[in-house]
Amino acid sequence: MAMGSIADTLWDVVICGTGLQQSLLALSLSRSGKNILHIDPNDYYGGAEAAFSLQEAESWVDRLATEDKGLFRSASITKPDVTGLSFPRAYSLALAPQLIHARSELLSQLVSSRAYRQVEFLAVGSFYIFKAPLGPDQQPSLVRIPSTREDVFSTTAISAKAKRGLMKFLKFVLDYHSPEQRDAWKPFADKPLVDFLQEHFKMDAELKTYIITLTLSLDGRISTEDGLAIIQRHLTSMGHFGPGFAALYPKWGGISEIAQVACRAGAVGGAVYMLDTGIKSMATAADEIELELSSGDKVKTKLLVRGDEKVGDGPSISRLVAVVGSSLKSLFESTIEGAPTPCVAVVALPAGSLTVSGEATTSPVYVFAHSSGTGECPNGQSVLYLTTMATSNAREVLNSALGSFLSAMEQDQAPQCLYQLYYEQAAGVKQSRLDELTLDLPGPSLSLSMDDSMLKHVREAWQKVVGETVDDAEYMVFTDREPVDDDDYE
Amino acid sequence: MADQGGSNHGIARTSRTRTEEQRQKDLERIKDYRDLEDQVRAHAAKNDFSADVFALTSKLLRLNPEYYTVWNVRRRCLISGLLSKPSPGSSPSKASPTSSPTATTTTSSAECSSSLSTETPPAPECPTTGKSGTTAETEADKEDEEQKKQQNKEQDQQNDQQILQKELHFTIPLLLESPKCYWIWSYRLWILKQVIERLSVPVARKIWEEELGLTSKMLLRDQRNFHAWGYRRHVVEQLESPALEGKSLVESEFEFTTKKIEQNLSNFSAWHSRSKLIPRLLDERNADDEARKAFFEEELNKIGEAINVGPDDQSLWYYHQFLMLNLVSFVGHPTITPAFTQEERVTYLQREIEGIQELLEDYDDAKLIYEALFDYTLYLCQLQERKPNEQEEEDLKSWLAQLKKLDPMRSGRWADLERDLGLRVVEEA
Repeated sequence: MAMGSIADTLWDVVICGTGLQQSLLALSLSRSGKNILHIDPNDYYGGAEAAFSLQEAESWVDRLATEDKGLFRSASITKPDVTGLSFPRAYSLALAPQLIHARSELLSQLVSSRAYRQVEFLAVGSFYIFKAPLGPDQQPSLVRIPSTREDVFSTTAISAKAKRGLMKFLKFVLDYHSPEQRDAWKPFADKPLVDFLQEHFKMDAELKTYIITLTLSLDGRISTEDGLAIIQRHLTSMGHFGPGFAALYPKWGGISEIAQVACRAGAVGGAVYMLDTGIKSMATAADEIELELSSGDKVKTKLLVRGDEKVGDGPSISRLVAVVGSSLKSLFESTIEGAPTPCVAVVALPAGSLTVSGEATTSPVYVFAHSSGTGECPNGQSVLYLTTMATSNAREVLNSALGSFLSAMEQDQAPQCLYQLYYEQAAGVKQSRLDELTLDLPGPSLSLSMDDSMLKHVREAWQKVVGETVDDAEYMVFTDREPVDDDDYE
Repeated sequence: MADQGGSNHGIARTSRTRTEEQRQKDLERIKDYRDLEDQVRAHAAKNDFSADVFALTSKLLRLNPEYYTVWNVRRRCLISGLLSKPSPGSSPSKASPTSSPTATTTTSSAECSSSLSTETPPAPECPTTGKSGTTAETEADKEDEEQKKQQNKEQDQQNDQQILQKELHFTIPLLLESPKCYWIWSYRLWILKQVIERLSVPVARKIWEEELGLTSKMLLRDQRNFHAWGYRRHVVEQLESPALEGKSLVESEFEFTTKKIEQNLSNFSAWHSRSKLIPRLLDERNADDEARKAFFEEELNKIGEAINVGPDDQSLWYYHQFLMLNLVSFVGHPTITPAFTQEERVTYLQREIEGIQELLEDYDDAKLIYEALFDYTLYLCQLQERKPNEQEEEDLKSWLAQLKKLDPMRSGRWADLERDLGLRVVEEA
């Protein structure tokens, strides 16, 4: 690390933004000995994947009101006239509450880079389907989605024949790369998975709903190729780190926690961090860029890496973050002996299960329920993240979903909502772009489960900084800086 | 952690991987081990089972729990001195006999001299032989003797309890590392036997109940550890025995197999245990014919649901066969439904055959289904004391053809069946 002012150093790379991808880049470079300046115009870490206290959420909403063209829009906060909301720092509301499957590449990289030690991972428990009430005086209910053989055995919600169909599908998916299975699904690769399930497995509507929910598809029309990949990842992740769960969630705010840990590793490795600092102007010379920072400093660097903030192709999402005054304990029960208590539960309200303004919904609503075990709210409360495709009445859809979900929780009184944050997020750009000495990493993913495909862009950026001669087998493979006592047993 | 493959059902057994760097360290460790071993053997050869030797066995067994001779040395250390000597003719768990409450000098000196000869630390208190040689003792003296004896006994028990519990504790980390080592389990059993012999019934019972808890934990770690299952059966037997004032645990054990099955359908040991518990379960419930029939149907449903999602799982088909044999082979041993009429047996068997045929709609390449259909059709014929009719012969041939296709490794077996039953299967091109 260079002593003296930051203007004196020719930086190997200036990274702008501390979103997940830029932070992972900092992590990947943390043992490289390169001169790294990592800045962020925000006064917090995490960028589009940050987690906010109530105060920070309010500032964020205010700021968005003045901006027009970013990825986030139409943000607003509603505080119902009830008591129970705790002080602002008691909350950590995640902008990216994505769950991470146990078999994801991201986790392997966090392990090999040793950064995983700084993150507390919690188990994601059951996936449920919301069932609308059967009659006018009936309550709605939640049905658990079976995803293991033992689940299917125990459930009473499916007929024997349907169970056989489900087992055959699960067996198919686990092996879907083999030549025999490929012949079956290749013709449907780009077509919706629902069609393949209908044609090849003659699946009834209910089973199709279970399967599509496991993919967390936002429009319910995920392609066969993508859908099979996610389901296989889900199934092979089940039990991978312990019985009873297929995915993990970082405590204290989800992806933001990973971004923070990655930046911390970058700092330990010598990178200089400056928050509240953006780029005012830039000038590209032959083999270096000169940047004028908002702090007034002028710095020179060989490479500038940013996150692309343009709106890309693809549908937007609407999200409602709701704090409720109940622990929702029944959602977070572990179903298997020896399994950790889950802190996240997924409830899907399939297309058609809600009626809003007289019309049935045409795309699913996903509710990610977080217990206070996530550190995102105080004991006795929970945080709900509701997501659906952004349409003209998405806000009403989410409100309706919230109401229906709470009434399905089977309490004497439906739990009260204490706070609501609403916003829309546009799809980002999906590819990296290198323009002379500036590399723009893709925009943030809208996927509800961690999408490993973004990792290759980080890796490419890393290769650009360290040069072609460095073997990429070393990528994200570090040893502990200090000896650590490894506990091999649970 | 290294995966030992088939013998461990994929449950990792810890093993140390060596780099070249560690080789030197290992050579040193081998030397230390050999020294330790030599010391223990030297002491044992001299009949020296003192506390020092005991400590040496601790070190050695931590390095190698499979060294059964050393476990024996440890046992001898305990018997020779660390554990109390049982007083002649009495044991704490039985009612104390009224024999010889008075300690005559000869008896006491015999006790003392026997303990002295093994050169061990604190032998139980014995009255000094040099005490005044009064030949007649007063009533007050006798009462004092009684009290002292009682106090000694209690002290002994407390001392023994501590030692025995420490021994159980000692084996735990060894078991975690080598959960299938016979010698560790055997030592634990010996200690637990000492618990019954030396400690009061309530104390002994509590320790044995904890043992039951331990087997549950072991079975959580590896559901198919057959040592743990056999061991569990032994623990249950002891808990039910009069020595521990026990009563039957058959209901809770049956429930335990249910839980294990729900966690993992492929648990052969759980299904097997279940089948072994059923006769006693029904007897203890005083189940009448109605209750037995209901129970039988419930079991059929359960195994049916399991096979419905796991048609390739052999343990499930074994259990199903156990239920079918209950219908077919009922002479000379207890069955679930002894009162079933011939008609009822036939009906159930036919129903099962039909139900299994339905599975073929979706699982047309599961060989165990064809085997079951083949076997059960023959059971039906056996039950009705007849040969297969025309339709059945066609079915048998077609199932056999499937089996030949799906399981070519056993072609010899299919050929034998073909010949024995006089079926000639036409092979499809």
